[in-house]
Amino acid sequence: CGFTPVYGPQGVARGLYGQIQVAPPRDVPGYILARELQQRLGLVDGAAPYDLTAEVDVNETGLGITPDQEITRIRLQGTLSYRLSDSSTGAAIRTGSVQNFTSYSAPVFSAARQSIAGNSVTVAVAEEDAVERLMTILADQLVAELLATAPDWRGPTP
Amino acid sequence: AAPPVATLVADRVEVETGNQLVAEGRVEVLYDGVRLQATRITYDQPADRLIITGPITLRDGEDTVVLADMAELDADLQNGVLRSARMVLDQQLQLAATQLARVSGRYTELSNTVASSCEVCAENPIPTWEIRARRVVHDQQERQLYFENAQFRVLGLPIAFFPYLRLPDPTLTRTSGLLIPSIRTTSQLGTGVKVPYFFRLGDHADLTLTPYLSTSTTTLEARYRQAFRFGTLQFDAALTRDDLFPDDTRYYVFGRGRFDLPRDFRLELDIEEVSDEAYLIDYGYSDRDRLETGARLFRARRDSLFDASLAGFETLRSSEIPIRDQLPGVYGTVSYERAIRAGGGQLVLGGDLEVLSRRSSLPTDGRDTARLGFAAEYRRSWLAPVGLLADLNIGADTDVYRTFDDPNFPDYNARLVPHAAATLRLPLQRNGAGGVRHLIEPVVQLAWSDTRGDAVPNEDSILVEFDEGNLFALSRFPGQDRVETGVRANLGVRYTRTAPSGWTLGAVVGRVWREDAVNDLGALTTQGPGGGFSPASGLFGTESDWLAAAQLRIGPRFALTARAVFDDDLEMTKNEARLGYNDDRLSLETSYVFLNGDASENRPRDTHELTLETAYRLSRHWTGSFNTRYDFDQDRAQRSGVGLQYRTECITVDLSVSRRFTETQAVSASTQFGFGVSLAGVGNGRADSTYRKTCNG
Amino acid sequence: QETAIKFGGLAQDTSLPVEVASDALDVNQGDGTAVFTGNVLVTQGEMKLSSQRLRVIYGDGSDGAGRISELRASGGVTLVNGAEAAESREAVYNIDAGEVVMTGDVILTQGQNALSSNRLVIDLNNGTGTMDGRVRTVFQPGAD
Repeated sequence: CGFTPVYGPQGVARGLYGQIQVAPPRDVPGYILARELQQRLGLVDGAAPYDLTAEVDVNETGLGITPDQEITRIRLQGTLSYRLSDSSTGAAIRTGSVQNFTSYSAPVFSAARQSIAGNSVTVAVAEEDAVERLMTILADQLVAELLATAPDWRGPTP
Repeated sequence: AAPPVATLVADRVEVETGNQLVAEGRVEVLYDGVRLQATRITYDQPADRLIITGPITLRDGEDTVVLADMAELDADLQNGVLRSARMVLDQQLQLAATQLARVSGRYTELSNTVASSCEVCAENPIPTWEIRARRVVHDQQERQLYFENAQFRVLGLPIAFFPYLRLPDPTLTRTSGLLIPSIRTTSQLGTGVKVPYFFRLGDHADLTLTPYLSTSTTTLEARYRQAFRFGTLQFDAALTRDDLFPDDTRYYVFGRGRFDLPRDFRLELDIEEVSDEAYLIDYGYSDRDRLETGARLFRARRDSLFDASLAGFETLRSSEIPIRDQLPGVYGTVSYERAIRAGGGQLVLGGDLEVLSRRSSLPTDGRDTARLGFAAEYRRSWLAPVGLLADLNIGADTDVYRTFDDPNFPDYNARLVPHAAATLRLPLQRNGAGGVRHLIEPVVQLAWSDTRGDAVPNEDSILVEFDEGNLFALSRFPGQDRVETGVRANLGVRYTRTAPSGWTLGAVVGRVWREDAVNDLGALTTQGPGGGFSPASGLFGTESDWLAAAQLRIGPRFALTARAVFDDDLEMTKNEARLGYNDDRLSLETSYVFLNGDASENRPRDTHELTLETAYRLSRHWTGSFNTRYDFDQDRAQRSGVGLQYRTECITVDLSVSRRFTETQAVSASTQFGFGVSLAGVGNGRADSTYRKTCNG
Repeated sequence: QETAIKFGGLAQDTSLPVEVASDALDVNQGDGTAVFTGNVLVTQGEMKLSSQRLRVIYGDGSDGAGRISELRASGGVTLVNGAEAAESREAVYNIDAGEVVMTGDVILTQGQNALSSNRLVIDLNNGTGTMDGRVRTVFQPGAD
C-alpha cells in the first residue's frame, strides 16, 4: 500500500537517525521538550549535520467555572515554532509550527468529603505534569511532521 | 565641520541687482535635514531672508510636515513665519493655524489653531474631535504640545475647556502624563471613573497611579515596573475604602520578578497578597482564586536540570475558607537530574526532596510530610535495519518518607520502586499525489514496575489525566507518591497527513491493557479494585478506556483539536475540544469540555461547558464582539457579553455589556458596562490605516 | 566695514572699446567674420571673457560697418566681471543688445553662492542674470 519504514533501506529518513542536534533548553519545560525530541530523533554522537531549535509559547485558559466562580479546569494551549537548519551554514532548511493542548483539574473542595483532593499541592503537581505531557505531545507531533516531510527538505539520501 | 550649505533648485533663477535672487518653478530648498518646496522664493542675500509664496511644503525630519500659503523665513529655515499653515505630526495629528512661527528650528508657535487627527472631507468638514486653541507651542526636541485656552470639541460641540493643556506628540512613546480616563460601572460599586497618571522614572522604570472613584468606593490602584539588564520586576497593587466593607481597608499586592543569574541560573519571585477573598473579583483585578507567594531557582542545560522552589499557599475559595489550615500552607521542593552518556545509551541519575506542611495538626487532616528520593535509570535505543526503533529502559527509585500527625503512617517509612520498559516504534511513510505526505507510526510498549516497602501517604498523585502525553509514560500518576505497578502493554497508532497547501491532519488512537487491575494501593485510598485509578480517569480496570485524539489545521487560519476518552460502548469519560479561526474580518475561539463526575476528584457533578469568543468586523469602522460561557450541566448561560467598537483613524470608542449569572454569598450576579474612548494620534502609536476614514467624494 | 557682494557687478557699459587677444587669428573677408583661436581673451572695461575659440561678427554695411556686433565664444568660456564669474561651454555676446547668453553646464559663482544650470542670460544694461532649465543654487545661509 505504498508505506515504507522511514528508517528502512528505501526509507525517506534513512541515515537520519541521530543526525539532528536539538538546541539546549533554557527552562524546565524546554528541558523536557529537548529530552523528548533528542530521544525520538536519536542521540547525537559528535557533530550532526542538522540543528533543530524549538520555541514553545503556552497560554492558560480557565474553564469549568462553577456557580461559585471557581475555576475547576485549566487548559494549557501550546504552540511550538521550530527551525531546522544546516549546522555548518546555519541556513534554514525547514521552519513551521505545531500546536496542541493538555488540561488539568483544580477541583473544588466539598466539605462532605474528607480527602482534600484539589488542594494547592495536588493542583501544582498536576500542572507540572500537564506541562510535561504537552511537551511530549508537541515533540511527537514535530517528529512526525519532520519524518513525514523528509523527502521535501532532506535532499538526496546517501 | 563647515557649517551646512543650503541648496536651492528651481526651474528658473533670476539674479537681480541689489542682491536679490528670485527662483521660480518647482522650487526646493534643502538645509540640514529640513526640506522646503514652494512655487516662488526670493532670496534676499544681505537680509539673509527667504520670501516664499506657496503652496509651501516644509518637512523637518520625517515626523513633521508644515503646509502653508505664504512664508518669510531666514535662509537656514530655522526662524520665520508661515501664513495659513497646517502642521502634520507623524502623519496623524494635524494642526491648522492662521499663522505658524518657527523659532530656532525647535519650537513652532501656532496661533488660532485647530488640532485634530481626524480626516476631514468636503461633505463632512467637521472632524469627529478637535482641540481649538488660541496659541499652541510644539517643542520638537521634547516632543510635547502645549495648548493655551484650549477647547475640546466633539462633532463640533465644545465639551471641555482647558486654560492650559499639555499633550505628548504622536512620536513620543514614554512620557509622564495623564493617560486616557475610563469609566467602570458595576451593580455593586455603581459608576466610577478611573484617571490613570503615568510617571516615567528614567529609561528603565515607570509608575502608574490610578485613582478609581465611584459612589461607593475610593480606591488608588498602582503599577510599578522596572527593567534591569538581567531581568524585570513588576508590582500591581490597590488600596480601597468602600461601602462593601465599610470599616476596614481592603488591598491587594501582586509582585513578579524574573531574573537571569550567572552560569545559566534563573530566579523567579512571586508575591500574591489580598485583604479579603472577594476583593479581586469585586474590582475585577484578577480571577485567581488561590494565591501563591514563593520563589523558584532553576537551571536547565542539555544534560542536566536543577529546580528548587518554595511556595506559600492561601485559598480565596469560600468553600475552603473554613478548613484553610488543613490545606497545604508551605510546599518546598529541590530536584536535580543529570544524564550521562554511557555505552550508546544514557544513565540518568536524580535526587529530589519535597517538604509539605499544614498549619493544623489534626490527625491525618493536619498531616505534614517530607520525602527524600533517589532515582537511577539506564536507557538505550537501537535502530534495526528494517527501520524498527527499539528503546529499553531499566531503573529504580528509592524514597524515604517522614510523616507527622498521621496515625495511618509510621514516622519513617521507605520503599523501593524498580521498573523496566521496552518500546517498539515502526514509523512508515508514503508520498501522496501533489506533495501530500502520509505517516503512520504504530507503537507498542511493554512495561513492568513494582513497589517494595510499606505504603506511603499520597500528597501529589490524586488528579490523574490520560492523553497522548502519558499514553507511553512509565507512571500516569502526576506525582511520585503513587506508582503504576504490574505488567501492562500500552499500544498506540499515530497518523499524520501534511500537504503543501497548508492542510494538516493528525490522529492518535491508544489503549492500555493491564495484567491485573490492582495498582499501588495506598492505605488511605478508598478506591475499589481499580486500585489507584478512578473510573473517571479512563485508566480504571484491566483495560483502559479508548483514547482518541484528532487535529485538523488549514494554514494559519483554522485549527480544530479534539481529544476523547471513552469506553467500549462509546460512553464518554472525557471529551475536550478547541476550535480557532481567524481571517481579517472574523476571529472565533471556542472551547468545549466534558468531564464525567468523579468523587475522588471532588467533582460530584459532570463538568460540561462550552465557551465562545468571537469578533466580527462589521464594516470599515464597526467591529462587533460576543462572548459566552454555557454550562450544560446547569443548563444555562454562566456569563455572556456583547461588545461594539467604533474605530477611525482618530478615535476608538468601546462599548461593552457583560452579565455574570452566578450567585453565591461572596459573589453575586452582576452586570458590567464598559465605555472607553481613546483618541488616536495623541501620544499613542501608529493607527492601523485600514480604519482610516475615506472621503468617497 | 561691510563688504557687500553686489550682484550689480554684472552691469556693463557696452559702448566701451572691445579688445581681443589670442594665439592666432583667421579673417574671412568674404562674410566679414574673424576667428580667433588659442587662449582667446576679450576685455571690455572691467569685463573679461576668455575661451579657446572666438568668432567675431562685424556689423554689416550701413552705419555699423567695421564695428563688432556679436562675439561667439566656445570650447569652455569664462566671464569675469568684478566679483561675479560665470563659466559655460559656449557664450554669445550681442554687443548691440547688451546681452550675453551662456549655455551648457553654466556655473555662476557669487561670493560663497554658486548657481548651476544649462542656460544663463545676462542683461548687461541693468545688471541682471537669469538662469533656467533646473537651476541648482548652493548658498551659505547666515554668511554676510
